[in-house]
Amino acid sequence: MDYDSQVRQRFLSAHRAGPLNDGAAGLVSGEAEDRTLNVWVRFQLRMRHGAIRTVRYNVYGCPHTVAAAEWTAEWLEGRPAGALDELSMRHCLEVLGVPVEKLGKLLLLEDALAACRRRPDERQD
Amino acid sequence: MTHPEIYLDYAATTPVDPRVIEAMVECLGPEGDSANPSSSHAPGRRARERVEEARAQIARRVGAAPETIRFTSGATESDNLALLGIMEANRHRGRHLITSRLEHKAVLDAASALQAQGFEVSFTEHDADGVISPDAVEACIRDDTVLVSIMHVNNETGVLQDIAAIGERCRQRGVLLHADAAQSTGKVPLQLDDWPVDLASLTAHKTYGPMGIGAIYIRKGVNVQPLIHGGEQEGGLRPGTLATHQIVGFGEAMELADPDLESPRLAERRDRLWNGLSAIGGVRLNGHPTQRSPHVLNVTFPGVQAESLQLAVSEVAVSTGSACNSDVPEPSHVLSAMGLSDALAAATLRFSVGRFTTESEIDHVVERMQAEVARLRNLARGAPDWTAA
Repeated sequence: MDYDSQVRQRFLSAHRAGPLNDGAAGLVSGEAEDRTLNVWVRFQLRMRHGAIRTVRYNVYGCPHTVAAAEWTAEWLEGRPAGALDELSMRHCLEVLGVPVEKLGKLLLLEDALAACRRRPDERQD
Repeated sequence: MTHPEIYLDYAATTPVDPRVIEAMVECLGPEGDSANPSSSHAPGRRARERVEEARAQIARRVGAAPETIRFTSGATESDNLALLGIMEANRHRGRHLITSRLEHKAVLDAASALQAQGFEVSFTEHDADGVISPDAVEACIRDDTVLVSIMHVNNETGVLQDIAAIGERCRQRGVLLHADAAQSTGKVPLQLDDWPVDLASLTAHKTYGPMGIGAIYIRKGVNVQPLIHGGEQEGGLRPGTLATHQIVGFGEAMELADPDLESPRLAERRDRLWNGLSAIGGVRLNGHPTQRSPHVLNVTFPGVQAESLQLAVSEVAVSTGSACNSDVPEPSHVLSAMGLSDALAAATLRFSVGRFTTESEIDHVVERMQAEVARLRNLARGAPDWTAA
């Protein structure tokens, strides 16, 4: 399969992969999986003063999914908490040149972030 | 620094040997043997001689008489000719075909086409290592069974079936046996005339010959219905102008493909690769550990998706067993039939070594695989158990 350079670069670097310290304040975490799509993803967000300070992820998936997780983390960092509601995997799909057939896998990332949103208490410092 | 590409996909196709290229080029152009081999003039007769010389070279390599070798476009056509042509020609004897779920799509799809025409197909059992026993084949044989089709060397796992033993059972029951031997030539010895095999599919491009040319072995006295019509070439079985330069290339490739010389070296490279890969925690070898061809290694890396591993080590040309361009990749039908879960099938790579594989290439691949499997597993840390089971 041919991969867009945006996908290659993010898949190979995966700078934001890895866990955040579970004990830290302002940490929210959410994960999603779909066995039929062969994807699992977990995001961890450190919130401070209503903004997303740091994003880390772990992911089991194809290169497009890994690259999309990296892009998502990159996009969210430094934005206000409301950015979680604005994030669009269709936009990610376009930016990274991901084949539309793989949209289902990318939507799992949205599910993982939605799981983060369902824990509002943890968003506070 | 970017590493030069390393080709470990010889089971998909092999590069054409320079000696084969030389023989082919000699055929082309005004000075070559480029006339139609069916023409009766002198240039045509010279081209015909080259074709017959190649036929003899191929026949020698597979232990057969030259007149049992008929040229086709490749193993897929040969498989279709064997299944469709035999079942059609033997309608009066019965309508039952036996094959296995481990076969190449060329056989499975031909079997499906026969089912659509009203023929019946049974699938023989195999063990967890992908080995088909003669007993399992015999258990499927019925009074109306016409043909058994079993692959000699499996293209995905490299498992070698005991075709001679299976053929014995078929012969005892009056049933014909077809063997897809596309992966066999040059890696394992073939003695088709001596074995109880009635038909075999052969191809050039898996053995350092050109693409687009293959052959079918048909034992003397076995009647096959042609699939196409339009001339008397190849005894009317496979009409169409013979491609002299491709046939000459096929012949030269077979002349060079001596398994006695090549197999020990291939096995050494394969074992060196496995020794390195098996140091990675949790990896599993798919297929029988010893009853196998020397060139194929099918390895599962639990917890890592093969598509990701393939991109991570993109300087290494290896094969995944699934189509990765869809939302839900279809797992390899062979691995699924051998009992692997979808997740494990999607974590599997096929490595296949060949004539031009070097020790230093193997060492580089091992080093890179060890590093990238570790990186990708780390990326997936915390993933549920199903991702690795």
